[in-house]
Amino acid sequence: MEATYIKRKKDGRIHIKSGNKGDRVLRSTLGVLTILTFVAFLFFNYAGLELGSAITETAYNLKVMFFEPALSHFGLREAIYQVGITLSLAFLATIIGAIIAFFLSLMAATNLAPLGLTRIIRVFVAFIRAVPTVLWVLIFAIAAGLGSEAAVLGMLFHSIAYLVKAFSEAFEEVDKGILEAVRSTGGNWWHIVKSGVLPSTFTYLLSWIFLRFEINFGVAVAMGAAAGAGGIGFDLFMASSFYFDMREVGFITYAILIVAFLLEVVSTRLKKRFFPATSD
Amino acid sequence: MSLLRVEGLGKSYTADKQILKNINFEIKAEELVSIIGPSGAGKSTLLRCMNRMVEFSEGKIMFNNRDVGSLDKKELRNVRANIGMVFQHYNLVPRLTVIENVLHGRFGYKTTLQGLLGRYTEAEKERAFYLLEKLGIHEHAYKRCDQLSGGQQQRVGICRALIQEPKLILCDEPIASLDPNSSKIIMDLLKSISTEMGITCLVNLHQVDVAKHYSDRIIGLNKGEIVFTGTSHELNEEQINKIYGTKTEDLITA
Ligand SMILES: Nc1ncnc2c1ncn2[C@@H]1O[C@H](COP(=O)(O)OP(=O)(O)OP(=O)(O)O)[C@@H](O)[C@H]1O
Ligand SMILES: [Mg+2]
Repeated sequence: MEATYIKRKKDGRIHIKSGNKGDRVLRSTLGVLTILTFVAFLFFNYAGLELGSAITETAYNLKVMFFEPALSHFGLREAIYQVGITLSLAFLATIIGAIIAFFLSLMAATNLAPLGLTRIIRVFVAFIRAVPTVLWVLIFAIAAGLGSEAAVLGMLFHSIAYLVKAFSEAFEEVDKGILEAVRSTGGNWWHIVKSGVLPSTFTYLLSWIFLRFEINFGVAVAMGAAAGAGGIGFDLFMASSFYFDMREVGFITYAILIVAFLLEVVSTRLKKRFFPATSD
Repeated sequence: MSLLRVEGLGKSYTADKQILKNINFEIKAEELVSIIGPSGAGKSTLLRCMNRMVEFSEGKIMFNNRDVGSLDKKELRNVRANIGMVFQHYNLVPRLTVIENVLHGRFGYKTTLQGLLGRYTEAEKERAFYLLEKLGIHEHAYKRCDQLSGGQQQRVGICRALIQEPKLILCDEPIASLDPNSSKIIMDLLKSISTEMGITCLVNLHQVDVAKHYSDRIIGLNKGEIVFTGTSHELNEEQINKIYGTKTEDLITA
């Protein structure tokens, strides 16, 4: 006997999607976007574009950039120094952010703070997180002027919001029996945090901080270019839009790539060690 | 002289359901008293009312001549320091060493700063090692707790309770996660704690025969009400049926 709840197509093959509203909305959205993409190409202004030369010149630029990297406006030492500055900006924002986020997240964890307070902090933090880091930098630039101060402040702001979410979720994972045990001995809230919560989550906090450091390094490069925060990002900006020196752009890109790669290696190791379940 | 006196205790988590109803009992110093009853009867809730890990709504609890219900925050910490607690799942911090976990029992006597800095006196550390040795787990003192077997972890839990120098130890199903061998070790320990060290024990148990073998007195709890109190000898088949409720009784009362 055929079960009536099997959904079939006209040719008798079985549906595996439930065919609900969400699926349909998603499919029609994708369809509309696809159509719009093709239509948009028809309306572009193609005057002055010679496709043939454009492609060959781009290819040439890419070749120069990545196969003949060289420094011409500053030396290797200077380059390393500038990478150091970018790393420092990211480091500063991450460390200060982590410290502030730690205390805020204690107040945002439902097992450690009253529900009302956790809600307020969560909403506040979600709002900060919803605005991109770059925008925060620009907002702070109004007061501090474009430069490294605004960049660090903006990164700091977003880092705090990001880490509060990560930290407080880690805190909430702590076995509530542990909290109960410390409380039952007569320990107060700080005792619970110090001896129950911290030891159980310390390694998680460290890996989250490192992950955020990685993100902040990328942002710091961009901020050097976009917000005049200095560091290797600024040199990249100068080389590409000011001197049109493709060799230097290539060199700087490699430098950033190496640092990012090293950070990635370290963070993957951390993840393997501390989140064995999530890394694959 | 009673160490613990409970009068007309009542508790409800939600308005529509009363978990504990009019509980009255008294426990003398150095007694080992078991609470038995079916799952959901309110045993854990009752135990946690004693040191206000759960706030009760009606009645009065007198512990060591102090009215537990009317204590302020500081006095409550002080009373909790005088009441040890042992749990089914041991509730140790798995990443910390055995000795650190034992010393957590001293928090009731510490200021915030002392606790944050992890300051323990030499006397406290000596005492911790003495207790570990007494319970036969001193060789594991510097191991992380998650490397110990269940029975060993429960002994660490008991050490943590003992270092509080308590007058009363509350045990919530201390042997429910252990094999028969370790269970015997733990129950023998609790018995000797009450007889030799003179510390009163109030123990939630699921096994009637264990309760009968070790307890001075047994309290039977069913649907939040005490339906039996008496010695092991007085707990007969009929009383056990009354506590746990047989099928026929369920049908009649329902
Ligand atoms: N925090 C809570 N909020 C609401 N209801 C609760 C809470 N804790 C326990 N209860 C309810 O109280 C009743 C008694 O629970 P309790 O844990 O005290 O029973 P128990 O006798 O210890 O059971 P078990 O033998 O299974 O441990 C249960 O119906 C449970 O649903
Ligand atoms: Mg229970």
